Amino acid sequence: MRNTDEKEETSVYRRVVLKNSSPYHYMRVCLVVDDQRIRPSVVELKNFIITGLRTLHGQAGAAINFDVLKYEEDSLTAILRIYSRGLVKLWSSLTLISSYENHNCAFRVNQVSPYLLALTGNSRDLQLD
Amino acid sequence: DATQHRSEELTQTPRHLLVCERSSFQDEKNRLSTQVEMLHFNYKVSVLLPECSSAPSQLDSVLNSFTSFYLIKNLPVHELLDQHFLQTAVFQGCVYALSYRTRIDEDNCVALMPNGRLLLSLDKDSFELLGFEGKPSRFNHRVKSRFVVSVDLTSSCMAPGGSGYLRLVSGLKSRLNLQMDFLLLHHPGGGASLQSLLSRYASSEHRPTISQCRLSDLSCPVLESCDPSDAHSLLEWLGAVDADISWDSSCDFVSTLVCPEPKMTLSSALRVSVCGFLTPQDIQRLISELRCYLEQSRLGSWVSLTVHGFVDSPVSWGANEHGVLKGGENLYTLLMHHDGTYHLHLATGAYDSCPP
Amino acid sequence: MSVFMDLNVPFTDNHELLQQLIQTAAHLGYSTVAINYMFEPSAKNKQVPVPADISQLIGPLPLVQGRSRPIRVLHRLTVVVSDPAHFVTRANAEEYRPFNLLAVQLTSEKLFHTACLQYDVDIISIPGTEKLPFFFKRAAINGAADRGVVFEVSYAAALRDSTRRRYTITNALSLMESCRGRGVILCSAAEQALELRGPYDVITLGVLFGLCDADSKDCVSSSCRSVLLHAETRRTANGIVSTRRREGAGPLGEAVSAKRAKVI
Repeated sequence: MRNTDEKEETSVYRRVVLKNSSPYHYMRVCLVVDDQRIRPSVVELKNFIITGLRTLHGQAGAAINFDVLKYEEDSLTAILRIYSRGLVKLWSSLTLISSYENHNCAFRVNQVSPYLLALTGNSRDLQLD
Repeated sequence: DATQHRSEELTQTPRHLLVCERSSFQDEKNRLSTQVEMLHFNYKVSVLLPECSSAPSQLDSVLNSFTSFYLIKNLPVHELLDQHFLQTAVFQGCVYALSYRTRIDEDNCVALMPNGRLLLSLDKDSFELLGFEGKPSRFNHRVKSRFVVSVDLTSSCMAPGGSGYLRLVSGLKSRLNLQMDFLLLHHPGGGASLQSLLSRYASSEHRPTISQCRLSDLSCPVLESCDPSDAHSLLEWLGAVDADISWDSSCDFVSTLVCPEPKMTLSSALRVSVCGFLTPQDIQRLISELRCYLEQSRLGSWVSLTVHGFVDSPVSWGANEHGVLKGGENLYTLLMHHDGTYHLHLATGAYDSCPP
Repeated sequence: MSVFMDLNVPFTDNHELLQQLIQTAAHLGYSTVAINYMFEPSAKNKQVPVPADISQLIGPLPLVQGRSRPIRVLHRLTVVVSDPAHFVTRANAEEYRPFNLLAVQLTSEKLFHTACLQYDVDIISIPGTEKLPFFFKRAAINGAADRGVVFEVSYAAALRDSTRRRYTITNALSLMESCRGRGVILCSAAEQALELRGPYDVITLGVLFGLCDADSKDCVSSSCRSVLLHAETRRTANGIVSTRRREGAGPLGEAVSAKRAKVI
């Protein structure tokens, strides 16, 4: 998991390489609902996602902890944080969610990264014209 | 057994590496400037200045003097080997060129690095059409479907008129006929050195976009003892500041994100970012300016700087091949302290080598 | 590693809906989609459909997300075979020729076995709408793989209700178990724009179906490219490669060994 290569024995210098060490993964997602008047609150959104987890992965899925770090009700965009071990389960259940209160809907997953910083610096967002 | 195997698959995540380094500007062997210079294609830099409410004027002027870059549309790639272009731009200073609106996991991608090395990351069909030596991509899976052609335009065997040169040009011109949009800039010549190219194709000049945001009453970890095991929580905190995530979630049910302990409150902080196609030289200047700023500020202060590389660049640091599995992270965060020590965190995603 | 494709977008007479589907696919980052026409020879008085001219139906094609090129639209025919007479004798039928891709959907194990080993098709479709009445035999699966025929798993049915979700996952899991992630493509079969999912989301569904990330990514990219090459070969002179001299090729052009220009 960790290896230290100490090239120089100075008082300050230190180098550590961490592999697959991020405890969390972060997701930038957007909910699209066919009726644009529908605006779930952040609590409703979280409950909705938990329901999706339970539907696909059962009770154990519903028990997976994740956080809604940020939610914009106007655009229905959110940043989620999930323990790395739960990423595939959360992502697959978001993918298979298809209706919200009897309206057709879809979660669009815009970006996923082990680094929260990466979500604010994605060069694929660069628009020049 | 099968169930066990399945549950393992469902808990695995793509590979990622984080290098945590601690050193000091006073240490003559510190490699910071090399590490900054080796990441050639930078998309965004963001800076956090604690206890600062407006940018000092010198910092402002550095930010405003980032080199302009050009978007040039439908540029035939053989133009990058044009003799006149080589003489006036590539051999005189540094050219940075990166294909734009191309994805490294799907499309052909091209980069011209400041040392004069041209990289073509091509799908199998294009590679076969080109008919030039290359290597299979490191990130091919099962079948060899992507190939990387890497040529040093400054080497004698690629001298204009030579056989290697002619073979590559004719491959690009008559067989493959590769055309793409490019981000382009020249250091230190600017647009003047690129004029002959820019005038012949549809192109536009772009200034890096600067944005500033003043934050107040920010919960902040105390940075005294920066242990690598805390690196992730520190990076998470910086990420949350960059993404405007609030710390005092009113509701535990929604989010359990907390500021790492021990913590303090910053009455004010300034967040500045520059976005576009940025050279390592400009980032070096920014780092030097931030060092000056730190030297003048009070004891115990610090600043952080995060640089994001281009997701779809064929290389990350140096000539390390870079790819995208699900995300193409190549970024670093530099945390500079008042006493000249710094922490550098370099991060890569699944298809990358270990950063320098 | 190739561009992302969705090789099953069902045809609909509703032009507006078709346009939405293609628009959304382009917006989600698919570079190529195949409009799928279903044909059931068992139904009475049914003719093989004729593919519509897409640009006439929906106007200019939308640009692929983040790219400066428009989406490419292909035509695919899926023949539902419930009797051996439905397909074999018509393998090279003229009415199949307007389609870029030819797929079959089988209703019995015997037909499935024959299709895997003999049918001159590109894709064998594994439905997600019903529980398969048979198991996958490794001999059949390998036979198909050796001939470059791929299996298709589509996910839209899994979005509609929990029963069909279970069928989709069960069928996909047992397929992946037999073929170990090789020679499979993942498609949408989406009837509405909101049933389409982005390529990276579909890759994650592949992981749910038992694949590793890289194998799963192949299912929406490289394997799709292979099946298009397979189809091209099948449609042109049964795999005989024709070469022609490039006009205006200089001495340098000839020095390099002749590379076949593949259509992609």
